[in-house]
This record gives sequence, C-alpha cells and structure tokens, in this order.
Amino acid sequence: MTATPASRHFQSIDEVQSRFAERGYVADRMLATTMFLATSLGKPVFLEGEPGVGKTEIAKVMAEVLGAELIRLQCYEGLDSSAALYEWNYTRQMLELRLQEARSVQREQIGRNLFAEEFLLQRPLLKAIRSGSTVPPVLLIDEVDRSDEEFEAFLLEVLSDFQITIPEIGTLRAERPPLVVLTSNRTREVHDALKRRCLYYWIDYPSFEKEVKILRTRLPQVELRLAGQVCRFMELLRQQEFYKKPGIAETIDWARALLALGLTELDTEATNATLGCILKYKGDIEKLRQLGLDGIVTMALMPGHDPSAAPAAFG
Amino acid sequence: MLEHLVGFSRALHDAGLTVNPGNLLDLCQCFEHIDITRRDDFHAAARATLVSRHEDILRFDAVFARFWEAPESIVIRKHKEGNEESEDQDEPTPGARLLLPSDEGVDENPRNQPLKLAYSADEALARHDLGTLADTDIERAQRLIREVVKALANKRGRRHVARRHGHRPDLRRLLRSRSYYTADGICALPFKARRINKTRLVLLCDVSGSMQRYSTFLIEFMFALRRELSDLEVAVFSTQLTVITDLLKRKGVAASLRQVADKVHDWAGGTDIGGSLRQFNEQHAPRMLNGRTAVILLSDGWDRGDANRMREEMARLRQRARKLLWLNPLLGTPGYQPLTQGMQCALPFLDYFLPAHNVQSLSQLARTLRDIGA
Repeated sequence: MTATPASRHFQSIDEVQSRFAERGYVADRMLATTMFLATSLGKPVFLEGEPGVGKTEIAKVMAEVLGAELIRLQCYEGLDSSAALYEWNYTRQMLELRLQEARSVQREQIGRNLFAEEFLLQRPLLKAIRSGSTVPPVLLIDEVDRSDEEFEAFLLEVLSDFQITIPEIGTLRAERPPLVVLTSNRTREVHDALKRRCLYYWIDYPSFEKEVKILRTRLPQVELRLAGQVCRFMELLRQQEFYKKPGIAETIDWARALLALGLTELDTEATNATLGCILKYKGDIEKLRQLGLDGIVTMALMPGHDPSAAPAAFG
Repeated sequence: MLEHLVGFSRALHDAGLTVNPGNLLDLCQCFEHIDITRRDDFHAAARATLVSRHEDILRFDAVFARFWEAPESIVIRKHKEGNEESEDQDEPTPGARLLLPSDEGVDENPRNQPLKLAYSADEALARHDLGTLADTDIERAQRLIREVVKALANKRGRRHVARRHGHRPDLRRLLRSRSYYTADGICALPFKARRINKTRLVLLCDVSGSMQRYSTFLIEFMFALRRELSDLEVAVFSTQLTVITDLLKRKGVAASLRQVADKVHDWAGGTDIGGSLRQFNEQHAPRMLNGRTAVILLSDGWDRGDANRMREEMARLRQRARKLLWLNPLLGTPGYQPLTQGMQCALPFLDYFLPAHNVQSLSQLARTLRDIGA
C-alpha cells in the first residue's frame, strides 16, 4: 500500500500550481495539494467527475511537468490481463522453435527458453512497472468505471505492491513505482477498497471565473468579452438537466468554432449554428431549443455578467 | 494533534462517514509534506485521504468546518443532528443547480398539484386508444419472450476460457503443451472461447389499478421468463412489494396467480413506486442484485408516492444493477410522452426505456437487447 516515494518531485504546493499553469492547466489549490501529496506519498490518485472536466488532462500535464513518460490504459468492459498486463509473442516463439530446429539444437533443449522475458509483449501495466527510465512514468488508468469487477480486483493487487506475477517467469517488481492516476466518470460505483488505496479528488465543473481563466489560457486569442459570454452561457446550460452536460472540453471547442466564424459577440444565430459543439445528443439539442435559446443567449449577454467589468480578478 | 485527529474521525463517524484507520495514517503521513497551519491545505489533504465518494464531500466539509472551528467546545452528538439538517437541504442537488426551482420537485405543495393533474388528463386520453394483448397472440408472444430472454441471459463475456473445440486457437496453451514439441508439429489444437455470463434477471411488476388491463400480458410474461431462466426473481408491487418467485415455481398456478393479482389490484388504490422500491432496496436488493443483474421494471409510471424518494431509490437501484430497463405499456401509444411524475423521476436512471404493450413491441425489445448484447 505504501510504496516508497521515489523522489520528491515538487518542493511545494505552489510549485505544482505554477508548473501546471505553465502548461496551460489551471489547477486550484486543492487539486494542487492532492497532486503534490500523490507525488510525495507515492499514492495513486483517484479522479472522479463528470465527463469533460479535464480528468485525463491532469495526467497528461503531470507527465509533461515531471518529464516522465505517460503510459495510458484505457479501460473497457472485459479488459483482461492479455490487454492490460502482458501477452506472449507467439509468432516469435514459433520462429524461435523453427530456428532451434534449424540449428539442430538437442531435442530436450528445444523450447526451453520460450517463456523468457524476451518473448513477453508488455502491455501498459507491465510497461509501467518495468520502465527502466530514471524518472518513474505516469500511469493513467482511464475510465476505470468501464472495466468490470474482476479487473478492479486485479488492479487492487497491482496498485498495492506495484508488482506483477507471471506464472512462467515469477514476480516482477517495480524499481521505481509509477505515479498512478485513475479516472472515473461514475457510470458505476467503483469498489471502496480500490478507492481507499488512493487519494480521492472530485473534479467539479469549474466556477465561472475559473472557466474564463481556463478558456483564456487555452485560447489566448479569445477576447475577454466573448470568453465571458461563452462561459456564462455554459454555466446557464449546466443548470439544466441534460443527458450529457457540456464540459470544459466543449467550452473550448465551442469558443474555437466561434472564433473561426469571426465572431466577437455571442448571438442566437451563431449559437444555433454551432450547437453541435456543445450538445452531442439530439434530444439535448431539442430540449435546449424548447427552453428557448434566445432567452439563454440574452441572459449570457447581460452586462452584469460581463467579466470585463471587473478585469482585475483575471489578471 | 493526534488526539484532535482521532476526535475528528469520531465526529465523522457520528456524521455517518466512517474513516478507515489506514487512511487516517495516510493523513498523518501527509503532515510531513504540507504546512498544516494552512487550513486550506490541511483541508485538501484530509479530504483526499479520508473521503472516497462524491456524495460524502458535502457532509465531510460540514463536519470539517465545525470541528476545526472549536474542536473541544462542541459536543459530538450535535454534529450528527446538525449535519443531517444540512444534508437534507443540500442533498437533492449535489453539484447541480436548477434554474427553475419549481422544476425541482422538492416542494410538494398544493401549488404544483393542478399542473400535475393536467398532464394526467392528457395521459388518460392517450391511454384510451390503446389496444391490449389479444389472447390469440399469446403463443407468438411467448416465442418472442423466449427470444428476449435468450438475448438477456446468454451474454458472451469478454474473458476467455479453455475449450476443446472452437474458432480461436489458444496459442499459449499450445506452446506450453508437451505434445507440441514431441509430435513433430502435428497435435491437437487447443481452443478458447468467450465465456458465457448468465445474466440474472430481477423483474419488478407494477400490479396497481392502472396496470390492470395488462394483467394477462404480465402474467404470461412472468411465466415465460420463469420457464426460460433459472436465475430469476420476480416481485410485484402496488403500494408495497411482494416477492412471488416461489409462487411462480409451482406448476399450474396460473389461476391462483391471477387471483393474487386480482387481490393486489383490489387492495391497492394507488401506486407508490418510490416506497416499493425502497422496500426492495432495503430488504431484497443485497441478496438479489450483483454486477450481473439486469432489473426490469414493468410499470406505466403512474405514481402517487413521493417524487424525491422515488428519485433517491432509483439512484440506489441504478448503482447496484448492471442494467436497468423500464418497460412501459403506455410508451407504444402514439403521442405518448413520459410526463407522469414517476416517469420523470425515473428516466435519468434508466439504461433503456422501451414499450411493452403488444407483440410488436416485444420483438423490438428482443432486437434492442440483441443489439446491445445486454
């Protein structure tokens, strides 16, 4: 459970925040603290939240900041050990046999070395554990809620000791435990035992101020005025019940689309034309039209919500 | 410091958040790395280590705020009461705010009543044109039900098991088998196949007054399922829930079941789906539900119970079951909209919302289930 922390990557929480900011990721103090502790304690992080709030992005930025390799394991139902852990390279094994025959190796010796590490295909988990680099890699286990319970139990074992047992070889142990980031969209509840081994962090939709900041960091060419209107519109949308609420990814996409159309101010027509960037289900789009797109656009345009009225807050 | 921490974990426990001692140790380890005099950092560390569920965050923050304000001066019991209060206020909208407060369904005041009734009248009209299952169709229906069940019950898993015959050779076993090396390359090829995961089915049938006209269909449906599926639990509900799995096991009980159904109709004036679901969740769910269970609700969604409770119980059910299907006999009616309060509460939690009023709709159900490989 407690792997020895490989090294202290960060000196302070502020450093995490500033280095994340350098890479264009706006992390609040709480998230920065969690990531700081993850590196300091060598514990996995469990990030949970609605789709599109930047969970996967955290792992990517983390890898960049640390200068580490990012190893990604996308979970799906039925993910098994041959896709997550290792597989034998059968083609090479068979070729090896033919070669041995051709070299007229003694019959008893044929096939002796077939199950050695050189015939092993490393899948993400094994790769993360066997990584030879001096900086331990960042292992992203994405959407763990999509996998099944058997895989969860298996993860539990890997994450507690950072070791993997292969029957034909033996136990392989991590020299430097990777930094593990698990994400979940909460399509189902992940087992408590797994969560308990991790630092838990819930990522919410960002506040209006934060979203403006994120948008301006990712798309510097967006005017503050438009950014405010876009984020205000998103905030209003998220107050409604949709099958899939738009996340930050959608905000950025949408702003990019509006820029491409050469807009400097939100209007109903352009919003209507670009709704596909925001809502990805027909039912949701219809619902929004029923709610009255016009009204929401007008509300988003209200000067009271214009952030340029208080520019100091956004640096 | 340690004393305070233990006190804090006790306060959390009293608020219904049990802290694992290992996690408390983790928190202690954090102190080496962070400046605990900074309250927000300490808060972040405590939350990262001690909380593991989104639902707990609100309560955790409340306890945290109270406890670290003045740990000694607060009687711990008070936390509990205080937090339950705040929980009641916050719980209905965790993380989400609604623009129109009246939409929320929190207030059950008379102001909302007329609106609800207006919708109901529409539905009553729509229901009027509805054709029921004719007796001559029953045989066809049974065949379709069998298909439905097959689609549900024989889901191919993604994991492989060893087989003597099949389509995919199992190379790992081949290379490890002795015969491969000794028989000059001629040997029996081992195979592997995807394992069949038998789905467990739980059927919750609404047998309240409004469902009476479908009772023939309901009973046929239950019996057909029973015949096809070994792992099936059936419960009927109106204002309360009765598990009738054992009753269905006996042969030739169609008549007596009809009687039971009639009796249920008689003593149930209304429907309380939320209450029935709570009964199911509390008494039967731990035993009946697992990761392989599909729950089928068969109801028209006419609910007279508490909307909030219904929403809560649907959420609980959703988390425990693998798939949640709602078959609604009304859905086949042209122009039908799931406007009843019950349906509105349930919709966000459903995997599939399907019609079940006649034979055609059943074949559609079979197709849907096959497509999704339920």
